[in-house]
Amino acid sequence: MTSLMDHPSRGETIGYSFSQPTAAPVKEHSFYPYTDNGGSTLGITGSDFAILAGDTRSTSGYNINSRMVPKVFKIGGDDETGEGAHILLSVVGFAADGNALKERLDTVVKMYKYQHGKSMSVGACAQRLSTILYQKRFFPYYVHAILAGLDEEGKGALYSYDPVGSYEREQCRAAGAASSLIMPFLDNQVNFKNQYIPGSGEGHALEPKKAEPLPQETVKQLVRDAFTSAVERHIEVGDHLQVMIITKDGVEEVYHPLKKD
Amino acid sequence: MDKLVAQYSRPSHQNEFYSEQEQQDLSESTPPLSLKFNLPPVDNSSAFLRAMTDDHSNPSCPIKLAHGTTTLSFRFQGGIIVCTDSRATAGNWIASQTVKKVIPVSRLSRGEDKPTNEPTPGLLGTMAGGAADCQYWLRYLSQQCTLHEIRHKRRITVAAASKILANLTYAYKGYGLSMGTMLAGMTPQEGPALYYIDSDGTRLPGNLFCVGSGQTFAYGVLDAEYRYDLTEREALDLGRRAILAAMHRDAYSGGFINLYHVKEEGWVHHGFDDMNPIFWKTKLDHGEFSNVTSEL
Amino acid sequence: MPGFDFSNYNRNAALHARGVPMPKATSTGTTIVGCIYDKGVVIAADTRATSGPIVADKNCEKLHYIAPKIWCAGAGTAADTEFTTALISSNVELHSLSTGRDPRVITCMTMLKQHLFRYQGHIGAYLVVAGVDPTGTSLYTVHAHGSTDKLPYVTMGSGSLAAMSVFESMWQPDLDREGAIALCSEAIKAGIFNDLGSGSNVDVCVIEKDQPTQLLRNYMKPNERGHKERNYRFPRGTTAWLNQKVISKEDMKKYVTVETLSGDPSLAAGEKMEVDT
Repeated sequence: MTSLMDHPSRGETIGYSFSQPTAAPVKEHSFYPYTDNGGSTLGITGSDFAILAGDTRSTSGYNINSRMVPKVFKIGGDDETGEGAHILLSVVGFAADGNALKERLDTVVKMYKYQHGKSMSVGACAQRLSTILYQKRFFPYYVHAILAGLDEEGKGALYSYDPVGSYEREQCRAAGAASSLIMPFLDNQVNFKNQYIPGSGEGHALEPKKAEPLPQETVKQLVRDAFTSAVERHIEVGDHLQVMIITKDGVEEVYHPLKKD
Repeated sequence: MDKLVAQYSRPSHQNEFYSEQEQQDLSESTPPLSLKFNLPPVDNSSAFLRAMTDDHSNPSCPIKLAHGTTTLSFRFQGGIIVCTDSRATAGNWIASQTVKKVIPVSRLSRGEDKPTNEPTPGLLGTMAGGAADCQYWLRYLSQQCTLHEIRHKRRITVAAASKILANLTYAYKGYGLSMGTMLAGMTPQEGPALYYIDSDGTRLPGNLFCVGSGQTFAYGVLDAEYRYDLTEREALDLGRRAILAAMHRDAYSGGFINLYHVKEEGWVHHGFDDMNPIFWKTKLDHGEFSNVTSEL
Repeated sequence: MPGFDFSNYNRNAALHARGVPMPKATSTGTTIVGCIYDKGVVIAADTRATSGPIVADKNCEKLHYIAPKIWCAGAGTAADTEFTTALISSNVELHSLSTGRDPRVITCMTMLKQHLFRYQGHIGAYLVVAGVDPTGTSLYTVHAHGSTDKLPYVTMGSGSLAAMSVFESMWQPDLDREGAIALCSEAIKAGIFNDLGSGSNVDVCVIEKDQPTQLLRNYMKPNERGHKERNYRFPRGTTAWLNQKVISKEDMKKYVTVETLSGDPSLAAGEKMEVDT
């Protein structure tokens, strides 16, 4: 019992033989305008389509705010139905910032059409979204955005963003709570990372499997499998899976059930 | 506190929709890469930003920004070599392995970046530190360079371009920008010119720079082998080899090797190549990296 | 002094002060409940164990054995609930052997609260203790700091509010065995679906006088794993490798005794592990 008494009680500082860190511990800020609303999104492109998907659960802490808050939006379409949209945006992170960002981009894309009499290209929209995010460099939107559409050649185009607007065109990208679970899966199954062609050579002559655009049905299956797996292991992902597929014929939206625990 | 009260005590209808200025900003077809930024409603905005985004001082910060890099460039008799890795990290997470960290700066070469043997006129900028900061401000610089070209009917010098960027970063000193950039270009007035600019406001001309978390590894190789009279072939190989060393030893660097050569007529892209086969070729053909074992 | 080893305490506190994050303990951010009925008592738990937002175990056991007629549901730090209940179980058994009587729930509860109070909440065990003894049926909660409650129906863990809402709307004083089981599992399901820290299946334990205690493991499975649409089996030779090393039986014989088992695979398999399919 005595050994217990020897220990410094909580709150008492411990005498170290080495110097204490000079930097003060991170200050608690009374101004904390962000909440993580959880959820995950994912986008994959093909030769003539792009898919954006996200779960519809909104959380804060251990609570579920709602089981039906879509994270993927049509940009530049009718306000009610989204008809006529040719660009998709998914936002994950802080839902309020996400909504503000979506509204902003939607307005910009519509104004562009009114002024120029033609739709904004995805490339232009991608760059504009980057500047919108960077406008708040010192008070960032707490979101990871993914933008999808078809480029001038009709190929699927996917752009991913960090919270302050650094962006890149990619084949596939996962964002949000379960991104660290989904992204390695996509690297392996879409870009065939760490996969080699069996029997193609000995030792270093072994040929890596080449990535090529996948057919739409395969991509849909990959998206659903990625989410059924993420739901198993991440508590903030679940309820429904919202999938939007953009092709030259327009946008198709479908919902799939996910586990609700 | 009074500030906060003042901020929020306006009649609420004034806050309801975009202000007139904002509406105009939205409707402008080409938005200026403006210098107006939204600031958080707190006294010390850079401390707020740091608390939210600086994962070094606060590992559990909510917003993780893309960081981490090795970039290098050096002058030699045949021009300037610019070489980078392609990894972006957010905390311990590899956010991307395919980042283009060499950004063409100038009107004529902007946008197009296909490997070609035809030199493209213009400057090259490299990206280290915050990915968004570099992308945005090099885009801004690009715009300024184009305007310069239109106004003065000749291409901007590297010295002038680098000064625009340095003045800019100096103006934003203390706000929390994070960038370490090299500008490389060749103009009739200057010949091959290389400048280093960072977010502290530093602007240095020089022969050889390495920037980023893997800079020391790259310097190690570069300082050992560098000579001004390298041939073009040797210079390209050295650039590639120095980046490879950094990618091998620095956890925050990796992915693909992005190699450029700036010549008198413009820059030439020499590939965006996966480091892995290059690493094994270097090891097996030259007997380097003998610390890595393989029976094959 | 037997017990905890504090030798790394100073080092870890110093490292933490310098920004090294503390290792994350698996916690059972949990829903556990208990409810008494006319002839006995029921306790129930979900089966999810989490580490931050990641599900560490989809089907863990949160109902712990103390004595044949005393069981415990645990929430909080997984290791703490496991070891605290095991320690108390041991002491309860010794106590019952030395007194020659069946252990009482109140004895167990007192031992738990004294143990936990001594450690001032640093042992993160939040427990529901239930059982039947010569004095009758009892149901208690024990908090990590050492406080206890005695109530006819109790809930604990991160899903306690969701579960309590079920009890408060559906509990009646004259429940029978089936009613109590149904009510408890309904309360756990409320936790599973409405609390992110709880999930997967429902475990139930029914303790009744003159009847053997029943542990109804996975009494309900409302969250079966979804099937995969694609096949993720890689053809042999897909993975590249740098080195290979073959250790033959002859090599191993130099260091250890190698015995070859008979052809019967059931002997070689040892205890079969429970795995997800």
